[in-house]
Amino acid sequence: MIRQLSVFIQNEIGSVAQVTAILKEHSINLRAIASFDTPEFAILRIVVDRPDEAKKYLIEKGYAVTVSDAIAVELEDKPGVLNDMLQLIANEGLGINYIYSVVFRRNKAPLIILNTSDLEKTKLLLTDKGYSVAEQEDIL
Amino acid sequence: MIWAKEETLPRQEIENIQFTRLKETLKRVYEKVPAYRKKMEQAGISCEDIKDLKDLKKLPFTTKQDLRDNYPFGLFTVPKKDLVRIHASSGTTGKPTVVGYTRKDLQIWTECVSRIACMGGATSEDIAQICFGYGMFTGALGLHYGLENIGAVVCPASAGNTKKQIMYMQDFGTTLLVATPSYALHIAEVAREMGLDPEKDLNVRIGLFGGEGMSEAMRSEMHRLWGSKMTVTQNYGMSELMGPGVSGECLELCGMHINEDHFIPEIIDPDTGEVLPPGAKGELVITCITKEALPLIRYRTRDITRLFYEPCKCGRTTVRMESLSGRSDDMLIIRGVNVFPSQIEEVLFKVPEIGAHYEIVVDRKDYLDFMEIKVELADESLLDSYAKLGELEKRIKSNLRTVLGLDAAVKLVAPRSLKRFEGKAKRVTDLRKM
Repeated sequence: MIRQLSVFIQNEIGSVAQVTAILKEHSINLRAIASFDTPEFAILRIVVDRPDEAKKYLIEKGYAVTVSDAIAVELEDKPGVLNDMLQLIANEGLGINYIYSVVFRRNKAPLIILNTSDLEKTKLLLTDKGYSVAEQEDIL
Repeated sequence: MIWAKEETLPRQEIENIQFTRLKETLKRVYEKVPAYRKKMEQAGISCEDIKDLKDLKKLPFTTKQDLRDNYPFGLFTVPKKDLVRIHASSGTTGKPTVVGYTRKDLQIWTECVSRIACMGGATSEDIAQICFGYGMFTGALGLHYGLENIGAVVCPASAGNTKKQIMYMQDFGTTLLVATPSYALHIAEVAREMGLDPEKDLNVRIGLFGGEGMSEAMRSEMHRLWGSKMTVTQNYGMSELMGPGVSGECLELCGMHINEDHFIPEIIDPDTGEVLPPGAKGELVITCITKEALPLIRYRTRDITRLFYEPCKCGRTTVRMESLSGRSDDMLIIRGVNVFPSQIEEVLFKVPEIGAHYEIVVDRKDYLDFMEIKVELADESLLDSYAKLGELEKRIKSNLRTVLGLDAAVKLVAPRSLKRFEGKAKRVTDLRKM
């Protein structure tokens, strides 16, 4: 499993940039980023190379931040692959809370990040079925 | 410790002193201040009509407007050469209200503040850091001389530069903090950001808070941030009456003891002006009976409270006024419902997932009043899901609905994004008036 940061941001111009500016200042490398068009506030999910340090810097600047686990799955780059995996999870009765993908991976397979109603169970299920589930070291 | 024997007199004796002093003061203002004389004549009342304390209610009220109309020195009973100090209130609307003191006034003020400092647990051993803004306000200098008078070490730190305040606390070993409750919460917050635990790393054991009301919820918040062992009391006063020192909480925490040998309190219905019986909630009206320069008669404080006359367990017999439930002039009327910001604060402070700072914005949309309350998210574990944050908003909304009887929009904002105050907090913006 990998560790992702959830940052509380307000729906205001420049609020995502303020977060990324802090990461830039400390040369922290972003692996994935996701946020949705909610009306007032948003939870910005980010995956970085040094999550604990990133959390510390953000808290110093007054952000509410939490670090939590998420599943990162390597998927083959061809049609239907994501659907197969999602079907598998659904058939097991697990719910997906949110899902996003890694932006850039130097010749490696795409990585899908997801949070479900039961992370451990999802991870076991996927590894059982031969999916490659990434750990934090794998995304550095 | 009880500072003065006047705090423990039998009720009859207190009333005898009050009546003698009232008569003397009334005679003086009637003779020396044309504005008062005119008011009394218009009301058809003379000094002789005041035959006992109960007749006080026959006298006309004094309001802030009277002070403005007679700006700056028109209500003073002494010539300028007898004054030794002037203070003024902020005067957010129009001219400030100016108050003056003779030498004797300053002595009585110091005495009154010494009493309330003792009520709150201060002793000559204390190192008192005064984080009220010095200047024209009465708060800082009032506490300053009162605390010096009991032999405490006074550190006139003034308000602002919070990190330096914390450095003083560490280096001087400050044991007593004087501040507005909202600034005291902010200081604790900054100390925590600096990696300090105020309970372990600082030595502040007493908080004497004033300048704005402090609800019970705010007191618990103070204990949470400063440590459970801190003695947290509040005191009350206003520059028009003298400054701080009108009343203060003793360690029994059952209301603020009014220095009754200097001030006569009444509770009135703010709409009709009628005097209400003991224990009833209404607007506090105060008559100054020992002041030389500016003895206001039946001054309408606009503060809403109740009075309790039963003697206190602490040994004092002076009347106690309850924590303020609001001001008659900061009451908001929203869709016909009366709302005091203090009620909102009470609800918010009971929600552990949000911080101690908030903002209330009232506006009108499509001819309907609309209230939005901004609160800071404090519990980052809720960031797991929108559902948890949504549930928090919903819970705050429903608690507000129960207490206020109306719907308010709740907006979660990032920690430390709301304005912090070094003096009195200004948390309500009523855009309907703009």
